[in-house]
Parts: sequence; structure tokens; C-alpha cells
Amino acid sequence: MVNLIINDKPVTAPKDSTIYDAAKINGIKIPILCHDKKLKPFGACRMCLVEVEQMKGRQIPACTTPITEGMIIQTATPDIIKARKLVLELLLLNHPLDCPVCDKGGDCDLQNLTYEYQVNSNRFVDSKFQHKIDYNNPLIERDMNRCVLCGKCVRICDQIVGYGALTFIDRGIETKIGCEFEDGLNCEFCGSCVSVCPVGSLLARPFKNKARFWALTKHSSVCGYCGTGCNLTLGVKDNKVLTTIYDENQGFHKGQLCARGRFGYQFINSEKRLMTPLVRKNGNLVEATWEEALEIVTARLRGGTSVAALATARLTNEELSLFKKLMIENVGSKNIDHSGGYAHSALTEGFTRSFGTTAAPSTILDIQKSDYLLVVKTDAYETHPVIGFEINLAVKNNGVKLTILSDKRGKLSKLPDARTAVHVPGSEVAVLNAICKSILDQKLISATAASIPGFAQLESALAAYTPEAVASQSGLTAAEINQIAIDYASAAKALILFPTGLAYAGHNAELASAVANLALLTGKVGSEGCGVLCMNEKNNSQGAVDMGFYAQEDGLNALKILDACTSGAVKTLFIAGENPLASYPNSAKVKSALDAVECLIVSDLFLTETAARADVVLPACSYAEKEGTFTSTDRRVQYIKPAIKKIGKSRTDFEIFSSLIVALGGAAPASPAAEFAAISAVTPGYAGMTHTGLGVEGCFAPVEVKPAFVVPQSAATPVEAGKLALVTGSVLYHNGTLSQHGEGPMFVCPDAYIEMSRADARNKTIIEDDLVTVSSPSGTLQLKAKITPRMPEGVVFIPYHFPAAPVNKVWSGSAVTMVTVAK
Amino acid sequence: MSNVVAQQTEEVEPEVDLAKANQVIDKYIDLPGNLMPVLQGVQDAYGYVPRKVADHVAERLNVYPSQIYGVLTFYAQFHLKPRGRFIIRVCVGTACHVQGAQRIKETFFNLLGIGHTETSADLRFTFEEVACLGACGMAPLAMVNNDTYGKMTVQKVDEIVAKYSTIPLN
Repeated sequence: MVNLIINDKPVTAPKDSTIYDAAKINGIKIPILCHDKKLKPFGACRMCLVEVEQMKGRQIPACTTPITEGMIIQTATPDIIKARKLVLELLLLNHPLDCPVCDKGGDCDLQNLTYEYQVNSNRFVDSKFQHKIDYNNPLIERDMNRCVLCGKCVRICDQIVGYGALTFIDRGIETKIGCEFEDGLNCEFCGSCVSVCPVGSLLARPFKNKARFWALTKHSSVCGYCGTGCNLTLGVKDNKVLTTIYDENQGFHKGQLCARGRFGYQFINSEKRLMTPLVRKNGNLVEATWEEALEIVTARLRGGTSVAALATARLTNEELSLFKKLMIENVGSKNIDHSGGYAHSALTEGFTRSFGTTAAPSTILDIQKSDYLLVVKTDAYETHPVIGFEINLAVKNNGVKLTILSDKRGKLSKLPDARTAVHVPGSEVAVLNAICKSILDQKLISATAASIPGFAQLESALAAYTPEAVASQSGLTAAEINQIAIDYASAAKALILFPTGLAYAGHNAELASAVANLALLTGKVGSEGCGVLCMNEKNNSQGAVDMGFYAQEDGLNALKILDACTSGAVKTLFIAGENPLASYPNSAKVKSALDAVECLIVSDLFLTETAARADVVLPACSYAEKEGTFTSTDRRVQYIKPAIKKIGKSRTDFEIFSSLIVALGGAAPASPAAEFAAISAVTPGYAGMTHTGLGVEGCFAPVEVKPAFVVPQSAATPVEAGKLALVTGSVLYHNGTLSQHGEGPMFVCPDAYIEMSRADARNKTIIEDDLVTVSSPSGTLQLKAKITPRMPEGVVFIPYHFPAAPVNKVWSGSAVTMVTVAK
Repeated sequence: MSNVVAQQTEEVEPEVDLAKANQVIDKYIDLPGNLMPVLQGVQDAYGYVPRKVADHVAERLNVYPSQIYGVLTFYAQFHLKPRGRFIIRVCVGTACHVQGAQRIKETFFNLLGIGHTETSADLRFTFEEVACLGACGMAPLAMVNNDTYGKMTVQKVDEIVAKYSTIPLN
């Protein structure tokens, strides 16, 4: 700590602080336009000028000047105030005074400082800027006339997002912010630039002219898309969620969000939301009362083991726990599952075998504390963008080494010194085994590894996986595999990340065991910055597993439930929020199962493809209307409370399950809090947690690791001449099928496409946007072609989110599906 | 990146052969801080920096395309449009101004049909007025590429244009 005097008051601050930081932590406000605590100091706006006695009273910027012992600082002398007024006068010289129609009004730093410093008139005269406003995209409006050139947008896009869409163009008085060759903005549309803009230059178009800033009530919540568990603030007016509001102090990610988190909230107040229960009469779904609908459902639920349930991992822990109770205790069926029965197998099978627990042992916070990151299957960015930001920061700021082991390149492949090992699709388990083998052969294992159960079996099983043997089937060289082994084993702290989800089928359990072996062999589990992080697809995927909402003992799993529907063994299927027709593999099979089942009950926000086939449809609520907890991918349990009142006659799934438990003669919990008390009493790691005790940041449920080595089975990748290997996955802007009801994601990525390499496109004379036919044994699909440099030859990628272009018509659900692609 | 690209009007740029750009990039690829020499090199090779070349440099050097554009617009030395074979610079600094630079300039305008920073359609001439060429004793002054013409008169403008109009372009 350093001692200094600010405004005659002795204070202390950490050694690496700037004057601005030191003042801030001591409660002294210094005005500033170009500062954000996530960004490196820039010193552009000259508002934070202060006087330092040791510097002969010169005015120096507080945000770029480090503190030294004994510094004597004045932050508000008459001279400084005069200088700040001058800065404001100069900024206002060219800045249009259109505050009454500017959406930033009330939340504008320039407006607030002008008010605070009472800049009533301007001594200078000059013309206003006449820059053209960029309306090229539907999400972000860029009005350079209002710009104060603080450079925050340029810096956040470079330093955190790593996209670099914006730059300073020209110089001197003509300087402006823009894209290359003055194009309109065409980026990932995460809106980070909008969030940090101190004036109304960058605005969220979906929010334009919707409400004045001060008319919004702010509700903090947890994002309902992916498993990262980002915190966000919803801006609400008249029971409508109108925007998300940036708060640099919120969450581990400090307010940073991705495109779907920031711009994907419109599903909450969508006009397409189900407003009332529907019941099928004479073949048509017609509006019904809750009493009528629940009566039918109650009667069908008396079917014992002929009843099965599928739930989405977007329900709260309380809802999932209650649904499980309803099924097991009141209905008498163990046929419950979520996410296709396989998307969670990395946790329920892989980690159970290898770590003796159903959760990943590491947290997102470990990323920045590590020395070496091994990211498997995707680059983490396209599935979990905010985790991608963390990796970006770790690499750029902390010099963390990054290796991506994937079947295609990704955005993070471009990071400084990032190594990308592009392997044949489906060979990742074999490659990881070979890395383990290489570590064993080079005697890089930790001292304790040999004492972990299963070591001898693993050692003998890995004999078949020499780097040389695996090199031929994986498309990597033995040297590359050995190098990853050396880099990983020699790093003091190393972390492995891999995704799970409906689109990442195939061998998740095996993959989890393979990475677990690698971490256990080198002793990189259980300490800070080390371990394995499994990135789950949905906001409560981890919670669904923690609540035990998956097939156990003699219960049927999701795919078997669908088979049983076809065979007639399951007569009633209750689906809460899941849309198997759009998201499960092999849609022809799913369709025949849903057609065959006697009674299909669906509770959902929307009349999805699955709900449209139901006999009873119950309108459910979004996360903005409920109370409960979500568990993020790193087991951070976070509390949400309603931001708006329920839409139409919709009810939360908690209320629906409670009513059904009562109707079946059981006793329902009084509130989500009561159910959470029951959960914390029985769920490992949740002990002692209460809704009120979770606080703003949530609590981590600890993970206890009982390590064991398991031999992961690797399947050989099929090779068929003339065919291409289809891999599916998540596209940056979407998550599951819910994001299709968000304006933002749909504006940016409205359709499915097939992504292919330049070489394959050339061979098949396909050009960008050509309509191509993709066929496999299970079906045929027409998609637009997208040709990118990141795909290796022989591999094509189709995102899975879109029911309008269902990839699951051609995708079998295995790790790799061989397809033919033709114009 | 997305469908937004379709909405933007694509400026038609002549086909450029990237081989020359690759030669320049290969020469500097391992040099730290290689962006400036590469951009100067490609400008020498093409006479200006075509957009396709800028995008290619961005991809090969792993620099954001926006950042390259920022550099290109910051420095006056870079040109984003094709330039003429002969760059005519007429000084309009104080000494040249009092010696009648305005008339020299206007005569060039009238003869060539191009104004400040413009290039003739046949890519023969580019005209620029400059603040000072540092040879005030020779005012009024003009330069064509590296040739200097002092004590300019309206007649000399005719001669200069005639001289450079007969030189083959390639």
C-alpha cells in the first residue's frame, strides 16, 4: 500500500493504482469520460486533470498517472475546474445539442458533466459535425456526430471482444471512429461498444425511442441463455423488458455480455408468447381454462410407469426438483430426462467415473489464473462468448498460453501465439489419449498419479495410442501431439475446457474421461488455475444434473423414452420447455415418436414445433417472471426474482407442478424458497444455501473430487470417399432454440447455413450463398453455402438451432455424420 | 460475418493480383512491427493500396482490417485510390503565392481537367497543391514526380503537360 494525500486527506491505495483508482477507492470522485475499469488507461478526454504538488502543480491526467509514495494531489482547485469547463466547452462545440431526442439522455456522461460543471454557454463558435449516421445493421446505431473520441468502443472491441471492428479514422480535427473503408458496422454485435459509450454515439436500436432512461426500473437477473451464468440488469417499463443495462460492477464478467445476452431479451415480451392453455379438440388446439387443462393432465398422469417426462435445462432448480418429485412420488415413474439424454453425459457418466462427482472441478475464475489453457472441440467462444472474453483477456493480459484442439479453427485461433491443432472430426478422444500416452512415455506424470485407482489399466490401455499411431487417424503429426503433451505437463497451472450440449453429441462421456485422465496424470486438478471445466449448454444444465433430473436406476433416458413412445410402452409424455423436434438428432424418428404417443403434454413459452403436436399445451413463464435459482456451468448458484408480472394467463412451471402434485393427492411446497430449502438439505454442495444467503454474486457449490482413471473408448472416424464430415454445433449468436425468439440473434443470424472450406467449395464449384443440397442416410436438407477459411478440407459445419432448416434431418447424433454435398 | 454484409453496397474494384502483395509480406513477415513497411511496400508495388490488398495484408499479418484502415488514413503518404503515373505538385506556399501560384495552378486545372488530389481518367496525371516544397528561391515552383521546375510561367505549364503527355504510360 502507498500513502498519499488527496484533497488534504491522507489516504492509502494499492501500489499499482493510478491517481484515478486511488481517488475512487477512497470515495473521491474525479470526472472522466474515457475510463472503464475493464480497459487499459487511455488518457483521451482530459476531464480527469488533477494537480500534483511534486509535479510543480502542473495539470496531469489522473487516469494514466501511477501513484507514488507521499504524492500530494488536488482534484478540484479553481484552475482545474476552469480547465474542465474548457474541455467541456470544446467537446460541446461540435457535439449536437439534441439531448431531448437522444436515447442516451439521462444516462449520458457528457450531459451529466455539463450539468455538474454548469457549462451554460460556449465562448467558441464552430459548425457541427455532418457525419452520416450508420443505420446499416438493425442492432447498433452509430452516430459519429455525437462522438467525443474517448476510444472506449475501439478499445473494448480490441482488448476484450478481440474482434477489432472499430478504429480511429483520419487524424486531427477530422478524426472519427469507424470501420475499415468507412463500411457500416458488420461484426459480432455483442454490443460491448454500446455498453461503454459515454454519449449517444452508439445506441441499441431495439431500444430506440422505447423509453426515457429514467423511466426504466432496473432489475438484476441472470441471463437465461447459456451456462456461463452472466448477470444482467433488465430495464423494465409497463411490465415490458425493454433493454439490458450495462453495469461495470456486475458479475465476474464485469457487465460484459454477448449478442444474445444483450440483444436477445425480446422473447420475454414476444407477441408470440402463449397466453392461455390450449387443449386439442376435434384435431385442433383450442383455448381452454387452466382447470380444464390441468384436469386432463392430472387424469393422464395417473398412468404410472407409462408416463415419461422431458424437461429443458432452462427451468429453475426448484422447478426441476419439483418436477422430479411429481414424477417419482406422485406419478410413480422414473422415466425423466433432459437434453436428449446425452448432452449431460460428460457430467453424469464421464465425471462420475473419473472424478466421482457430477460436476466439473474448476470454475470460470480459474481461466485468468492459469498458465496454460487447452480448449477442446470448439474454441469456447462460439458456444460461450463470455468465457471466450475471459480466455482472450487471459492470453492478452496475463500471457496465458492457449492451445485449441478442434475440428475447425475459431476466432480465438487468431490470438497472439495461440496454437490450433485441427484434427479429423471425431478423433479428439484418440488425440487426448495419445497426449496422455506421450506424457507417460516422457515421464512427465506427477508423483501421485500412480497411486490413483485404475492407473495400471490406463497405462496398458494407452499402449495402443502412441502419438505415431494416432497421428495417422487424427490428421495431426506425432510431433504436434508430443508438443501439446510437453506444453501441458510443463505448465505450472493448466486448465482444460470443453463444451457439452445437444449439438455436441457423440462421445461426451468419453471425452470427459479423456480430459480427466490428462489432468489427473499431471496432478492438475484441485488447485487454483488448474483442472477441467465443462461448458454446459443451457443456463441451468448443471442444475438439472445436480437436481438429478436424468434417467437413473431403471428409468428410461430421453432417447429411450422416445423409442418407448413409438412402441407404445410410454402412453403419456410430459414435456416442459424442451423442443425435441427441433433439437434432438434424427428428427424423422422424433416425429414418429411424438405422433405415436397417446397423449402429449407440453408446457412452453411458445407454440413450438413440438407443442403444436401436443394434446394439452400449458403456457409457461420466462426467467424474468419467476423466482428461483440457476446453477451455472461452474456451479455458481444464483438467485433470480421476477422482473415483470406474468404475461397473459401464463403460470410458472413451479405453479404448474405444484397444482399437479396437489391434484394427485400430494403436498406441494409453499414457495420456491421452501423447495430450495429441501434441495439444500439433500444436494451435495448445496448444504447451507438459502435464497437470501446467495446474495448478489451467488455461491459456489463446492465439488469434491474422488479421482480414478478410466479408459476412454475412442471410435474410429468413418471415412467415405466423396463424402464430407458433418459436424454440428452452436453458432455465436444463438443458444438452443430459444434464441430464435430474440430479435438480436435473429437479425444477425436468421437462418441455418452450411459452412465449408475454400478447397471443398472450389472442388464442387460452389460459391458463397449458393443453395446446396446436403444428404445423409436419414434425410436431405437444402442450405445456403458459407465459405470460410476456418474450415479444414473435407469438413462441413451446420448450426443446429433452426427448426426451419433442421440439421437433425441429416444428422444422426453421432460425433460425425458423413454427408454428400452438391449444388 | 453475417447477413448484414449483403445490405452494404459493394464498391467495384478492379481485380488485383495478390502475388505482388505476397512478395512484400513474405519479405517482412518475421519482422516485429511490420505493418508500416508492408503497407509502404504494397503501395510501391501497386501505386496505391487497393482494398483487396489491405484485406489480404490484414489476414496474413493477423491485424484487424479496421486497424489497417486507421493507419492508412492517419498517414498522408498512403493512397486508397489509383494514382497517376505522373504526380504534379504545385506549391501554394507564401513565397509561391505572391509569385502567382494561383494562376499556375488554374492553368494546370484547365489543361488537365482535374483538381486538387484528383487523377485523370487515363491514370496519367494526379494533381496536388502543396504547402511548401522548400525551395522558395525558385518560386513559383512545381514538381512532376522527382523533377523540379522553378520560376514557373503559364507557358511552362503548357510545355510540361505536353512533355509528360507523350511519354508512354507503361
